[in-house]
Amino acid sequence: MESKRFVGSGSPHIKDNTCTKRIMLDVIISLIPAFIAGTILFGIRVIPVVLLSILSAVVSEVVYNLLSKKPFKQAVDIDLTSVVTGLLIGLSFNVKVAWFVPILASIFAIIVVKMIFGGTGNNIVNPALAGRCFVFISFLGLSTAYVSGGWVDPNGITVGATPLANILESGSLYNIGISKLDLFLGRNLAGCIGETSKIAILIGYIYLSIRKVIDFKWPLIYLATTGLFTVALNGFDFRWFMPSILSGGLMFVAVFMATDYVTTPNTGWGNTVYFISLGLVTAGLRMACQMEVVTFAVLLMNIIVPLIDKWIVPKPFGTIKKQIMPPKETQK
Amino acid sequence: MAKVNLKTFHKGIHCDDNKHITRDKPIEKMPLVDDYFVSLSQHIGAPSVAVVEKGDTVNEGQLIAKEGGNVSANIFSPVCGQVIGTEQRLNKFGVPANYIHIKRSEGQVATLPDIDKRDAIAIKERIALAGIVGLGGAGFPTHIKISPKKPVDTLIINAAECEPYLTCDYRLMIETTDDIITGAKLLAKSLNVSKIIVGIEENKLEAYQLLQKYSDIKTVLLKKKYPQGGEKQLIFAVSGRKVPAKGLPMDVGVVVQNVATCKAVFDACIKNKPLYERVITVSGLGVNNPKNLLVRVGTPYAKILEYCGGIKDETVKLISGGPMMGVALIDTTGVVSKTDSGLIAMTEEEASLVQPSPCISCGRCAASCPMNLMPMYIDFYTQAGDYTTSIKYGVEHCIECGCCSYVCPAKRALVQSIKLCKAKLKEKN
Repeated sequence: MESKRFVGSGSPHIKDNTCTKRIMLDVIISLIPAFIAGTILFGIRVIPVVLLSILSAVVSEVVYNLLSKKPFKQAVDIDLTSVVTGLLIGLSFNVKVAWFVPILASIFAIIVVKMIFGGTGNNIVNPALAGRCFVFISFLGLSTAYVSGGWVDPNGITVGATPLANILESGSLYNIGISKLDLFLGRNLAGCIGETSKIAILIGYIYLSIRKVIDFKWPLIYLATTGLFTVALNGFDFRWFMPSILSGGLMFVAVFMATDYVTTPNTGWGNTVYFISLGLVTAGLRMACQMEVVTFAVLLMNIIVPLIDKWIVPKPFGTIKKQIMPPKETQK
Repeated sequence: MAKVNLKTFHKGIHCDDNKHITRDKPIEKMPLVDDYFVSLSQHIGAPSVAVVEKGDTVNEGQLIAKEGGNVSANIFSPVCGQVIGTEQRLNKFGVPANYIHIKRSEGQVATLPDIDKRDAIAIKERIALAGIVGLGGAGFPTHIKISPKKPVDTLIINAAECEPYLTCDYRLMIETTDDIITGAKLLAKSLNVSKIIVGIEENKLEAYQLLQKYSDIKTVLLKKKYPQGGEKQLIFAVSGRKVPAKGLPMDVGVVVQNVATCKAVFDACIKNKPLYERVITVSGLGVNNPKNLLVRVGTPYAKILEYCGGIKDETVKLISGGPMMGVALIDTTGVVSKTDSGLIAMTEEEASLVQPSPCISCGRCAASCPMNLMPMYIDFYTQAGDYTTSIKYGVEHCIECGCCSYVCPAKRALVQSIKLCKAKLKEKN
């Protein structure tokens, strides 16, 4: 037999068939219901807004790669993370948003938040949220007129606030005139393209959980903590629970953005601490600021993630205080 | 079959076991070849010292190298023949090592003397004499393992065989159940323990049913999960005892032995035959005729593959051992040693050749680590050259099972990082 050369490598020699691209593709698939629902609710303009965001995110990454003198083949071989970022940014705007706002948000998210810090996996905060935050603050004057951050009546008849803004401002939920079912379906509401229809988000959530891309526990813990803390802050009035969960961008952020791998802790306990704190911060800030602050709450908590991972390190197997030796059944 | 409560350990991974390729193939005796290269270092510890010289005539089963230190083992000639000399060859890690080259000719089979009475000391001496080492893969000399410095109350027989593809232990259990149980009892006798527990994975039900007929040993059915056969994981699954971190099984009163080792003990004590052959699984989609083979130590891999119908052109990887912890061979010039359990030729379809990409901190490695470590940070700090910080994330406790690399979506070489880090830390001390 001729002496053939084989590939040498370290163990293990078999690997799971999932990969980064596949995970990102799953996230994109899970966002499709929200995109479709947004198109149905807010009309055809949703499509150019979202596509523009995605395109500018992808182009930013490729241009950055080319500017940093990567070979062309490597520069265009992008993992789908920038598509996800662009898609999330597009879905988190109001449909009437000025065309340059999502573009700027995507460019900021990819160039400043992701690529400068070292590309995929090295960003400190969630790029999509940071991009959204950037344009929200930069165009605050503009956004109160038509609310680029996304709180406006989609029909443009009455420039007004979202149900959440109404609730928070009036301090009561009885005079907003919106049923929980409407909140859930996203009917007759002002809001952002992807955030309004909760049922679409729910479909995405179920898909991600089944594909095991995200652990189903974390969004639930986040939502429950936010709801319960809002209830507690309002003198244990449980009527606050469902509206606080269903309104604003909370659900969207909880499922698609707060669960971003890079900006969450890496252990079960770390994540428990993270999502509970996130819920407390969200509810607390919401009540304190009287406005939708999920974006800021998550960005704030993102920064603490490395510390959580530093503090919460699991004990290796066998590090135990009490040794069960010998067990009763073997004492014969 | 009645529903059984399957025992297991925490975390770990589920992967396709691919055992169907060879599970129903009876063990075949491989015909003898002309040249044998017997390594002097087939175990953990000091290399053995050759006791034969160039030109000597040796018989099958004759001592050709004796133990070369406290932790070492005797080595016997696999065939009758003439010693051509001691040669330097590259071992499977690519490091030069000494091999005794034996050219086969006709001759007699040498056996060990009978044992008069089989008491603890006699059995221990026989195991040491017969050169038995742990046949599960680690190759720790058995006579040292059965002389624990702490009191022991349980002998656990590792029949988990959790590595995908491998079926050699399974076939041994099916075909030589009696011998294995006798071997296990001899080991228990040498340890002065009465309790024997066999831990076996659920994908080996036939063997489990055969083992259940023995009323004086306890057989525990385990969940099919990798690394179920890891020593600490097996002890926990079978007895609920946790081996302390950096501790040994004897710290919790347990000694673990592999089924193939039990068979070797049986051969040495009852049949007076020292250890110079073992069963290996030749498998993978790259092999034309996958087989379970009884081969002599020192048989060149090329001859084994030839006997199994050769390998296909699509073969990209050749692995000595199991696919999770085995060593990738770059060519077929290697030879069988006592610790080889498999020879797997993989096509591109099975073997993962994807290049690593940046870590996305998904946390899957930590979620699958049976030792509860954080491989992503060990990798991160090792890549940065900060080996001491890795200790915080548990690098010293790693059993190198490969679960983290298996699940990594970015295909990062986490196990290599950990091995490098361990080596660098050792260098430092």
